[in-house]
Amino acid sequence: MRWSFNCFAPVVALAVYGAVLAQTPDYKNVGRAPTEQEVQAMDIAIGTDGKELPPGSGRAKEGAKIFKAKCEVCHGANLEGSQMAPALVGGKGTLTSLHPKLTVGSYWPFSTTIFDYIRRAMPRYQEGSLSADEVYSLVAFVLYRNEIVKEEDVIDAKTLPKIQMPNRNGFIPQKLDEIHDPKKRGCRLGHCP
Amino acid sequence: MDDVLVAYGQNGEALRPQQGYPIRLLVPGWEGINNVKWLRRIKLVNEPYMGMWESTKYPSLRTDGLSRWFQFEMGPRSVITRPSGGQKLSGPGFYEISGLAWSGGGVIRNVEVSVDAGRTWKEAEIQGPVNPKAHTRFGFAWDWNGEETALHSRCTDERGDTQPTPAELAKFWRVEPEFFRTTGTIPGHFNAIQPWKINRDGSVQNALVL
Repeated sequence: MRWSFNCFAPVVALAVYGAVLAQTPDYKNVGRAPTEQEVQAMDIAIGTDGKELPPGSGRAKEGAKIFKAKCEVCHGANLEGSQMAPALVGGKGTLTSLHPKLTVGSYWPFSTTIFDYIRRAMPRYQEGSLSADEVYSLVAFVLYRNEIVKEEDVIDAKTLPKIQMPNRNGFIPQKLDEIHDPKKRGCRLGHCP
Repeated sequence: MDDVLVAYGQNGEALRPQQGYPIRLLVPGWEGINNVKWLRRIKLVNEPYMGMWESTKYPSLRTDGLSRWFQFEMGPRSVITRPSGGQKLSGPGFYEISGLAWSGGGVIRNVEVSVDAGRTWKEAEIQGPVNPKAHTRFGFAWDWNGEETALHSRCTDERGDTQPTPAELAKFWRVEPEFFRTTGTIPGHFNAIQPWKINRDGSVQNALVL
């Protein structure tokens, strides 16, 4: 083999991302094994059962303050959205219309996704800067403003996965374990109804 | 899913940056988003993980308000590349129709061509190479009489799935049979038969949309 893969850890992709090494005959002495912390920093996906959710908690009241300071500028004072960011409320009853409005309240099927996404991607240009408590608080605030939880409800690793989102049954197939099986799904002609 | 590659090279050289250097996933037959470039790590999980994109952007919302999600595989599809929209035939006479067929379901088993707007179909010649989930060239000898008509092609893959008509596809989308043509809406994973209208002056037009 012309290509050597010793020490070829995923972090190489970060270290030499975008570099042109077409003349380089192999990957010797390139990169190193990632540390446990480096792997943990990337390994932040939250499943629908929420078992990876970190310790911490939050309520809508605290979330409102953080939202005002860090989110409102793009998402709007009433979560109505702007040219810079989508609306976070509204859209109920629009899914069958010509202009469906897809928001957390009208469309998102899983509550855990809100935590995952805010922690991973918000606020823009400061991704990863929010503490677990801050993320829980913002999740509580967004859920509260969508009338999915009450203002005083505490959102944490236990309560969040149990929240039933309004559009959870709006997807086909509804059961996640049927996604793998094209036959169960009745797929034909390359399409799964 | 028995042929997924973690790829580090292509055509005898390292992957180029825009193709995912140094390593990328290659998932034959599945839509582009699964072919992750600049691969950092692989994590095996026992159920689909519902990230923001997976659960709210990749699903396709139907007109009945339900969304189809995890639409990975590309269905059987073919298109005549010559003559095709924008080209012009010089006049009545012999033409070698040529096109490409592919399917996420495997090998292209056969391709049929209609030179009368889908009324009758004849077997096209598969010109190879024939590889699973790869473009497969086909050809068809045609004597144009100078009259207005439309050219169609449809392929069938090794599973027996045949490329659908727009009306068949409309059923999956819960829309009227003429929906795609009249609205010009082309949804993701659209693999319906592509009609090319041949005008009397030899000009070739896309007849899929109005």
